[in-house]
Amino acid sequence: MSYIGSRVLDRELKKGSAELLILSLVEDQPRHGYDIGQLIEQRSGGTLKFSVGSLYPLLYRLEKRGWILGRWVEKPHQRRRRYYRLTAEGKKVLKAQRSSWREFVAAINSIAGIEPA
Amino acid sequence: MPVWKKEIRKHLAPLNLSPTREAEITEELSQDLDDRYERLILDGLAKEEAYRRVLSELSQSDRWTSDLRRVESAHHKIIAGDHSRANLLSDLWQDLRYASRVLLKTPGFTAVAVIALALGIGANSAIFSVINSVLLRPLPYKDPDRLTMIWEEASKNGYPQDTPTAANFADWRDQNQSFEGMAAIADQSFNLTGAGDPEKLEGRRVSYNLFALLGVDPQLGRTFTAEEDQAGANRVVLLSHMLWQRRFASNPDIVGKSLTLNNGSYTVVGVMPPQFQFPTPEDELWVPIAFDSREAANRHRHYLEVLGRLKPGVTTDGAQADMTTIAVRLQQQHPDSNTDIGAVITPLQDQVVGDIKPALMILLGAVGLVLLIACANVANLLLARAAVRQKEIAVRVALGASRFRLVRQFLTESVLLGTLAGIVGLALSLVGLFFLRAFIPPNIAQAKVTSIDLRVLGFTLLISILTGLIFGLAPATQAAKFNLNETLKEGGRDASSGSNSNRVRGLLVIAEVAVSLVLLIGAGLLINSFRRLRNTDPGFRADNLLTMKIVLPEPKYQEHKQRSAFYSDVINRIESLPGVKSAAVTTNLPLYRQGNSTGIMIEGRPEPPPGQDIIITTRIVSPKFFETMGIQLLKGRPLSDEDKTNTPGVVVISETMAQRYWPGEDAVGKRIFPGRPERPEDWLQIVGVVNDVRQFQLDVEPKPQMYLTYKQAGFFAPRDLVVKTDVDPASMASTVRRTVWEIDKDQPVSNISTMNEILAESIARQRFIMLLLGIFAAVAMLLAAVGIYGVMSYSVAQRRSEIGIRMALGAQKLDVLKLAVGQGLKLVCIGVVLGLAGAFALTRLMSSLLFGITATDPSTFIGISALLIAVALIASYVPARRATKVDPLTVLRYE
Repeated sequence: MSYIGSRVLDRELKKGSAELLILSLVEDQPRHGYDIGQLIEQRSGGTLKFSVGSLYPLLYRLEKRGWILGRWVEKPHQRRRRYYRLTAEGKKVLKAQRSSWREFVAAINSIAGIEPA
Repeated sequence: MPVWKKEIRKHLAPLNLSPTREAEITEELSQDLDDRYERLILDGLAKEEAYRRVLSELSQSDRWTSDLRRVESAHHKIIAGDHSRANLLSDLWQDLRYASRVLLKTPGFTAVAVIALALGIGANSAIFSVINSVLLRPLPYKDPDRLTMIWEEASKNGYPQDTPTAANFADWRDQNQSFEGMAAIADQSFNLTGAGDPEKLEGRRVSYNLFALLGVDPQLGRTFTAEEDQAGANRVVLLSHMLWQRRFASNPDIVGKSLTLNNGSYTVVGVMPPQFQFPTPEDELWVPIAFDSREAANRHRHYLEVLGRLKPGVTTDGAQADMTTIAVRLQQQHPDSNTDIGAVITPLQDQVVGDIKPALMILLGAVGLVLLIACANVANLLLARAAVRQKEIAVRVALGASRFRLVRQFLTESVLLGTLAGIVGLALSLVGLFFLRAFIPPNIAQAKVTSIDLRVLGFTLLISILTGLIFGLAPATQAAKFNLNETLKEGGRDASSGSNSNRVRGLLVIAEVAVSLVLLIGAGLLINSFRRLRNTDPGFRADNLLTMKIVLPEPKYQEHKQRSAFYSDVINRIESLPGVKSAAVTTNLPLYRQGNSTGIMIEGRPEPPPGQDIIITTRIVSPKFFETMGIQLLKGRPLSDEDKTNTPGVVVISETMAQRYWPGEDAVGKRIFPGRPERPEDWLQIVGVVNDVRQFQLDVEPKPQMYLTYKQAGFFAPRDLVVKTDVDPASMASTVRRTVWEIDKDQPVSNISTMNEILAESIARQRFIMLLLGIFAAVAMLLAAVGIYGVMSYSVAQRRSEIGIRMALGAQKLDVLKLAVGQGLKLVCIGVVLGLAGAFALTRLMSSLLFGITATDPSTFIGISALLIAVALIASYVPARRATKVDPLTVLRYE
């Protein structure tokens, strides 16, 4: 649907949820940037796609805030890659964002009459 | 794999990120792009297509670069997670581990730095320990700052602190309003007999309340009662702890036992605790002073020491005013004895410390200077090393270290170094103190109890940490000013930071040279002064002279006749011994601190008005005294055995006395009398003039002296025996002593030593100070030389390329040498000029320690400067020579 409105909506939605997505993806194990991008694409069935230009500024911003921590890791026979993991602070933020997202979605659903998926 | 970096960089360029950050982002993004590319290939796309797709994604103007700019320009947080305390500690620990690794990696540098600092810190600790025990440790009495000594002020007669008379003491004690109490102390030797070897003991007669005033309780028994402090009732004695241990085997039943002292029976009433040493460490006995009525009324014999305890709330100034008032009153009441005699109060602490204070302060100053030089040296070393470690610093900055972190790292290193040096220094000072103790002249009061205590430990630790911070600052601030760009470029010499660092190092060297010059000049002055002191003619010949003290106890030898007989007998027997040239007795050997003096009258001249007595140092000697001591006769004849009680009274005077009282005349034939003669035939005739003898100290001008023969004069008893031997005097000691015991087996013989030993001991303090300062100066010079060497080495290494170019352009080895040495010489000369100015200003402070030369003795100043310049030249020459070995081709190729 090449409708300008939906593109704007996309962007706004993506922006609002992007942090939540990234934080939750590095909750269980450290991941590098490409990995995070791929997971988002796969698990959303292609709905959400992050380009290099949108993913990395986001990662750096989260890192600056201290919610994720990036470390260069060198595994044998591989070049070093930058892995990100959740920090203690980030855990708290993730929990807060999850609950507020749940509330938000529930509110929208009840108003707009959407059935749970 | 295609290369994405160029593309990425194109996008990142306008952001003006720091090169490290740009590199980091580039690497991360290109890896991601690689993965995406791979993915597309795997999905089946063609290479070119995949490449184009990835690239278009990158260039998609999602405004990512502006987003990125916003993110990156926000204030950069420290990439260490949260700022919790735990993190700070773990960082510190990491810094510490890293610092130790760094120090261990360059053991040579670390060793030199630690030793240089340890020397400075060790010397500081050792001297501080001595100062601590002598100056700072409070006296072991109750409220010691309330205790004072009270002296007669008789500077008009040449005695600013004179020992009071008994009558003055009594009046002071009874009339004052400022003191809780006063006690008098008089010297007394005791001959202990009847219990093993006869022994002469030094002791004191004291007022009964002395111990109460000091606030010290005896360990055993009790102190004196007021009843015992009266004539006839005073046959009680207190023992010192050391005497009790040494002589009575710490027998707990000693209280109540009787001792025979000076042929009288005394009952022991108590034993004082260990460490009680009042007034001097040599005193082993105390008996009540017990003035009889005659002694108590005597206003002419000046021999007491008086201690007082201020009443609570009374100030020293108030007490001084009180005592002055009393003294003035006494002057009016007793003009014949008390004219021009005042009273002066000295706090006990100052008295005990004596005149060692200025010397110790100067030494402490010197030590501080040495420490500064050591710090400068180590700062230099660290600066040089920091320059070398630039690549390492660059990498760490690239890995995300902040400037603050770097500075903290450097400071940790230097504090660690300082602490290490502190530990080594403390060990050094313990060793040094062990040796110092052997050299400390015994007349530095409390120094016997010198040891390292907590205050010294604290001081040393403080110095170590301060030193760590001080010399850590120099390289640490250099690191902070550091420019990463310049360094990461290959083959980069340190551009701007280089010349800055060089200037600082140059300044440090100039400071080192200046300070060590000051120290060296100080030491040089002391050495010269000491040499002059040692070479001063004492007025007699000290070689092959054996001396010992024979104090005849009064009860046994009450009559003058008895004493004369003893001396004649002793001298005759000793002179007949093989190996003995001659023997003599005297009241006091030269260079002993005490001396007896009397006021005289000169025949034909009016009696001196009260307070203007003619005071002459008096010696009562045997006739062969001058011959034995090698004192030269200048006029007339010496005393002889023929001068006896039934022949006219004679006296021999010293050169100074003759010149002072009979200038231009011949003194021989004139007559004088000690005191006022009762009959005309009492006048003593001057029969001879001898040259002056240094009676008190080598560096004090001799006062007028007169000599009487023991056969005629009995008012002072000779106490010293002196024997001129053919052979080594020490070897005759036991023989001579046995000879004395042949005459009287109970006669104690003590203080056996040779005259040369006495001579050496009289200047022991000056020698000690000279030694110490000399050591400091030598260490300072060594450190300065090392500093110059270090700076020159580094500068040469730095300028290798410049030297190479010059040589390639035709400069000769000699020119290079001149260039390199010239640089060092310039620094040294500036340092020397500054040092001379400093020395000129500062050596005045030590003029009280100098003898025979001024504090600005030109030969010393010039000589030492020349020495330092020579040393500095050598220190510059060695690395400069290395400069000439530079091969211009290799240098240029490397460039």
